[in-house]
Amino acid sequence: MSHGLRLPVWLGLLVAIGLAALLHLAVGAKSIPWSEAWQALVAYAPDNADQSVIRGSRLPRLLVAMLVGASLGLAGVIMQAVGDNPLADPGILGINSGAALFVVFGLLVLPGHDLSMIPLFAFSGALVAAVGVLLLAGRGHNPIRLTLSGAMIAALFSAITSILLLLDQQGLDSLRRWLTGSIGVTGGSMQAWVWPYVVLGMLLCLVNVRALNAHRLGPQAAAGMGVNLLKMRLFGLASVVLLSGCAVALAGPIGFVGLVVPHAARLLFGDDYRRLLLAAPLLGALLLILADIAARTVVRPFELNTGIVTALIVGPIFVALVLRKVK
Amino acid sequence: MTRLGLTLPRTLPLLPWVARPIDVIWVLVLMFALVAVSLYALTVGSYSLGVAQAWQALWSPDRVDSTMRNLLWELRLPRVALAILAGMAMSLAGLLMQSLTRNPLAAPGLVGVESGASVTMLLIIVLWPTLLPLELYPLAALAGGLAVALFVALLSWRQGISPLRLILVGVGLTAMLSAVADLLITYGNIDQVESALMWLGGSLHRAGWPQVRSLGIWLLLAGVPLLFFHRQLNLLQLGEKVALSRGLNVTGVMIFLLLCSVMLTAAAVANVGTMTFVGLVAPHLARQLAGDRHGALMPLSALVGALLVLAGDTLGRGLFPPLQLPAGLVVAIIGAPYLILLLARQRSR
Repeated sequence: MSHGLRLPVWLGLLVAIGLAALLHLAVGAKSIPWSEAWQALVAYAPDNADQSVIRGSRLPRLLVAMLVGASLGLAGVIMQAVGDNPLADPGILGINSGAALFVVFGLLVLPGHDLSMIPLFAFSGALVAAVGVLLLAGRGHNPIRLTLSGAMIAALFSAITSILLLLDQQGLDSLRRWLTGSIGVTGGSMQAWVWPYVVLGMLLCLVNVRALNAHRLGPQAAAGMGVNLLKMRLFGLASVVLLSGCAVALAGPIGFVGLVVPHAARLLFGDDYRRLLLAAPLLGALLLILADIAARTVVRPFELNTGIVTALIVGPIFVALVLRKVK
Repeated sequence: MTRLGLTLPRTLPLLPWVARPIDVIWVLVLMFALVAVSLYALTVGSYSLGVAQAWQALWSPDRVDSTMRNLLWELRLPRVALAILAGMAMSLAGLLMQSLTRNPLAAPGLVGVESGASVTMLLIIVLWPTLLPLELYPLAALAGGLAVALFVALLSWRQGISPLRLILVGVGLTAMLSAVADLLITYGNIDQVESALMWLGGSLHRAGWPQVRSLGIWLLLAGVPLLFFHRQLNLLQLGEKVALSRGLNVTGVMIFLLLCSVMLTAAAVANVGTMTFVGLVAPHLARQLAGDRHGALMPLSALVGALLVLAGDTLGRGLFPPLQLPAGLVVAIIGAPYLILLLARQRSR
């Protein structure tokens, strides 16, 4: 891996995000010209209908997409780094479905909740699922065992979720869109509750970066270099739970983003976690903006769910990755 | 249990087969339990019967009135029979997958059979409800499941079947297919989605004699030959190289066993929906009784699986009376915590 700063790649990434964001604002059920979208951002005129559409509904949605993508990308990097496992992902390891189950349970069963409780439900679900997977997978660095444990935990939690929904048909009707990962449903109101947790999760990652870099050489070498392995793992677990819990609370379970983003980031920027931790959120945001654009334009004026689009786009990449890497 | 095994002789002249006397005892115990639970299951439901009445209606159907006879013979008996057969099929399929991949967490749906069948059924139920007559649904699900399994096997082929690639490609493809299923669930008509969800949860509410017959035929076709493959499975358990050095045609045997497992899973999914956890839990329970000796393990895990599904279905019918919880979900909720405890204990040993 080269050691340059790779300024052109960073610049290209930022420009790509900017362009994708503008495109995201411009397309949709009603096409709005780019210049109008730009105007709405820099010089907002409330009496212009197009501009108020952009400010009122598309901009919050764009922000949610970016936030979710960034959280999932970062969570994926941390999981793959701490678990020393190239196939880790909050979706595949069942953490998303754990969070989803607890949110559904909280919404349907517990009375007197409000929106600010949803992230807390999601965190506890993510934590339970993560601990369950870790218990099942054991100590050895066996990616197969980890993947299968995750698949099992995911199957268990989605079984319970569907029992809950079978018991309550009204709940099924209102929650089924959220359950497949949909950015459009929750809108901007959730964002305010979730921001602090995302920032906290990102800070935990940054505190961990030195330990992660040492851990690349293997746990024993890292311990020899004075890294507190237990602290690193606990911080990693906490940040994964926070970040993927936030993503689920915002948009429902969206799989595969956390799997592919770290690989793409490593391909573009090398193995240094100081750069990866910066690149992964950016790439995740870009991926989710693009997926959301596809979700909104393929069957215009209807919308697909973003989680379904990411699974359909990124699933083949996962299979190709396996076929190339696993002999 | 171990003490009992020590006091009993390890072989008997009457048992030239691979079983030990203790296995025969366990088989008898499980069969007795199965009969008892079946009798109980016949009496549970919105029209409750006494055990004595059910017994009479079973053995002398002419002497009871026609309502009770119809209820028992047309509704409850096929349901019990289907539960037993489905449990056997899923449990055998799971055992095969676990032995083939030498991984205790392998589920029968590993190679995408279940998701392939589910997506096919969802497509039919949600998009073209009038496309096929009801009797052909299982065949369509079977075709879908087999096609996906074949695709996964082809993708992971590398000079023979590589279990590692099989597992990972299966997980990836399953995730993609479940995205398609989600698409249909999200945008379909809510009533059709409800019935599809019921089916996907592994429900026996459509049980009838035709389903029992079709599943029975598949079980005979793909399940009975397995009983003669216990030696090969024992060898595979030791690793491919050992098996190869003992003169086993590893690739051929693996293809045959994989095919059997896929056929069993597809037939069960086609008739009763997805029941992943039966295939995961039942072989582990049976392993507690017989260890890794496949000659005894296969009949035992088939019986345990049958018992699990029957108990799950009876519970699912009895818990919230007007509503019938799918048996597969009940088994998942009871079985998964047990499995997690079991595997955590095995790891720390």
